[in-house]
Amino acid sequence: MTKSRPVPRTRRTLAAGALAAAVLATSACAGTAHPAAGAAYQLTDATPAAAGPIDSFTWSLFGEPTSIDYAYSFDFPPNQILANVCESLLRWNPDLTTSPSLATSYSNPTPTSWVYQIRPGVHFHDGTVLTADDVVASLRRNLDPAVAGDWTSPYRNVKSVDKTGPLQVTVTLNTPDSTFNKYMAASPGTVESAATLAKDGKNYGNPADGVNCTGPFAFSSWTSGQSLVLKRFDDYWDPQLKAKAAQVKFVFLSDPTTRVNAFRTGEVDGGWMVPPDAYGQLRSSPAGTLYFGQNTTVSDEVVNNLKGPLGDVRVRQALLMAIDRKGIVKAGAGGVGEVANSLVTANNWSGAPGTAAADALKALPAYPYDPAKAKALAAQAGVAGQKIVIATSPLDSQTTIITQAVAQAATAIGLKPEIDTISADKYTALFTDPAARQGIDLFLTFWYTSITDPLDMYAGLQTGAFSNYGGWSNPQFDAAVNQAVGAYDPAAHAAATEQAQQTAMTQLPWLPLYTEPVSVFLGKRITGVRPSIAYLYYPWAAEIGAKG
Amino acid sequence: MTADVTAPAAAANAVTARAVTARLASVAGSAVRRLLGMAATLLVTSFLVFSSLYLAPGDPASFLVRGRSPSPQELAAIRHQYGFDDPFPVRYWHWLDGVLHGDFGRSYLFHQSVWEVLWSRLPATLLLVGVSTLMIAVVGIGAGIVGALRNGTRTGSAVLLLVTVGAAVPSFVAAIMLRSVFGVRLGWFPTIGNGAGVLDRLHHVVLPAIALSVTFMALVTRVTRSAMLDELRREHVEVALSRGVPRPTVIRRHVLRNALGPITTVCGLLISGMLVSTAIVETAFGMSGVGSLLVQCVDELDFQVVQAIVLLVVAAFVVVNTLVDLVYPLIDPRVRTAGGAR
Repeated sequence: MTKSRPVPRTRRTLAAGALAAAVLATSACAGTAHPAAGAAYQLTDATPAAAGPIDSFTWSLFGEPTSIDYAYSFDFPPNQILANVCESLLRWNPDLTTSPSLATSYSNPTPTSWVYQIRPGVHFHDGTVLTADDVVASLRRNLDPAVAGDWTSPYRNVKSVDKTGPLQVTVTLNTPDSTFNKYMAASPGTVESAATLAKDGKNYGNPADGVNCTGPFAFSSWTSGQSLVLKRFDDYWDPQLKAKAAQVKFVFLSDPTTRVNAFRTGEVDGGWMVPPDAYGQLRSSPAGTLYFGQNTTVSDEVVNNLKGPLGDVRVRQALLMAIDRKGIVKAGAGGVGEVANSLVTANNWSGAPGTAAADALKALPAYPYDPAKAKALAAQAGVAGQKIVIATSPLDSQTTIITQAVAQAATAIGLKPEIDTISADKYTALFTDPAARQGIDLFLTFWYTSITDPLDMYAGLQTGAFSNYGGWSNPQFDAAVNQAVGAYDPAAHAAATEQAQQTAMTQLPWLPLYTEPVSVFLGKRITGVRPSIAYLYYPWAAEIGAKG
Repeated sequence: MTADVTAPAAAANAVTARAVTARLASVAGSAVRRLLGMAATLLVTSFLVFSSLYLAPGDPASFLVRGRSPSPQELAAIRHQYGFDDPFPVRYWHWLDGVLHGDFGRSYLFHQSVWEVLWSRLPATLLLVGVSTLMIAVVGIGAGIVGALRNGTRTGSAVLLLVTVGAAVPSFVAAIMLRSVFGVRLGWFPTIGNGAGVLDRLHHVVLPAIALSVTFMALVTRVTRSAMLDELRREHVEVALSRGVPRPTVIRRHVLRNALGPITTVCGLLISGMLVSTAIVETAFGMSGVGSLLVQCVDELDFQVVQAIVLLVVAAFVVVNTLVDLVYPLIDPRVRTAGGAR
């Protein structure tokens, strides 16, 4: 399994990006590649542009979506399909900026209101025209307890969503929220036809009924368990992103080896999230090319129990210092990744003004690999000989290698680690069910953000937040996050966020391990995609066409 | 001479006709009894399946609210919406009532009726199990016969060796080897998917079916071989052979026919057991079938689908074994007599 899936089924934190977004036109710098500092791989912004249209291509997913209703789309498979079918008010671009999409402009006349001007002349896939009513009905679903969608958290400060003109929608907040608008470039900002929502009801987004949106591809068919087919939408409003392929077929292949074999035989033309242990094999494969792009994902050990030995901050710091993170990147991630000193990537800061991003990075406490110093630090806490339980699941070599390395580190600082190997289903349950987390001190996750903002991660560690699994609580941290959420001024927003990050990285409620780029494999028939984590919301498949 | 032969023959025919009628009546009677037993078994199973799933750890409501912290009111609303707050007997009754009307409920996971979810996966699994069954029957029994008849020769030893190797290869190992050799390296067979159209589907199912049935083929070969050897050593066989009855006739009439009993029983058990062993093979070949669906739905606590699949598998077990029981007396006269006396 690659990251995310069952094992560390990533709960993506949502981080939102640049407020300054609207200004930026989509800049496609074809073929620029820049090596990541001192690494054995390079990041690619764009693959060679497509030479022309193509009839069809096949794309692999590591799992089948359970629904393509945007309200339940909170995982890689549904989001990478929907990104091409349904559009949001704003668009998250491959360079992690945002730009207008179904909203031509937006404004923030008072701290508690966001006004969206809706694009005229946009057609849904069934031919009907987009109106403000469609936007209102779509956004309101996120507030509806009967829908019980996955995206209620970005809406936690929303009071109401109303039509304020034929093509204008106003969102009223209870309290200022600087992240709300950023989420309008992700699933929470998705717009579906109000008539379709009403007609399909509970069946909306299921294999039989599909969806009716405005994107460059329209839902065509979904054979449960096997494949989902999209076809080009000829009335698409944005000439820049008109689909080059007449059809895309997504196939669901959960076994990583099966996926890699399908790449090698050409049965599948491409896929995101290549299993790291196949990097070597695919780099030298004549079947196609492996690319790496910008990501917002960090692999972390979640400290789940603060009542045990890890309750002492010195022990958490010592453990992090004793983990050979460079070794993990080398052995577990095929050398493709960087040791992380924060729970978010530098990319999350790209929306911050001036040198804020660089400053935040410089100010971070570092935990260089030093087992001797770590042992001494842990000795001060007097936890020698105490047991900790590290949960893992036998899903891929990466997970196993990381878990072994963490256990080794625990031994090095005098703890008695016990590895608890649990099934994939149980592992997934760790992220949602407190009962499943009983008796576990540490577990691994690959956590990404859905917006370009570190707050997406850090808001999840506030006291009582859903993903604050260990029940960590720090008043200073909570106050800093609240201040950052309420701060519209980019400089003030960044400053408060940095303060929260400082606290978190000193206290280590989670232990950051490493960041890794997005990986994508393209078979020899196709090209044109821009490798970036934005594939979860950006219509990436529209840019794929035939190779010269 | 001719007349001498004809008269007893006519009498024999009359006797046979009477015997056939009696046999049919007895078979019909036992069939009805068995069908009733089958229904009872299914009812008991349905109760066990339903209750055991609700005793299993994990709360489907917590799955439904994944990704966020619901307020107690929200959680209560969800539990009410899905009927999780009804008392157990009420829930069981609702479910059973639905099942009896052909309604297995709605999948939490797929936002679809369980029947639709199952229907999209059943054909692939049935084809896989069907082709595997055919392979087991033809190859397994065939090799067993050869092994018994050529016992002590080189061919016989070769069969024994293959059986030992085959029985030791788990299906996931077979899947990996078949896929990399015949799929990736030689490119003779597709490595993923179910295929479309009859020939393409068969093309897709060959490797998975071999992977699934390799162990079972070996088992059936072993059982067939030893059952045949047992029969070959019997006195009446030796007598028939010494009296000059042609060897093929003896083998067909006495040896194989008598050996078929244990062979059928083993085949029946294996075939119904196969339904639950398809998950690994389906995953390895990127096929979509009931096995992989079961694993996924257990993972995600989608109880409605799990219940339907388990019930389906139990039903298949019961039906196949009932069929075996019904066929048994038709092929083995000794059982028939015993059955008739009952």
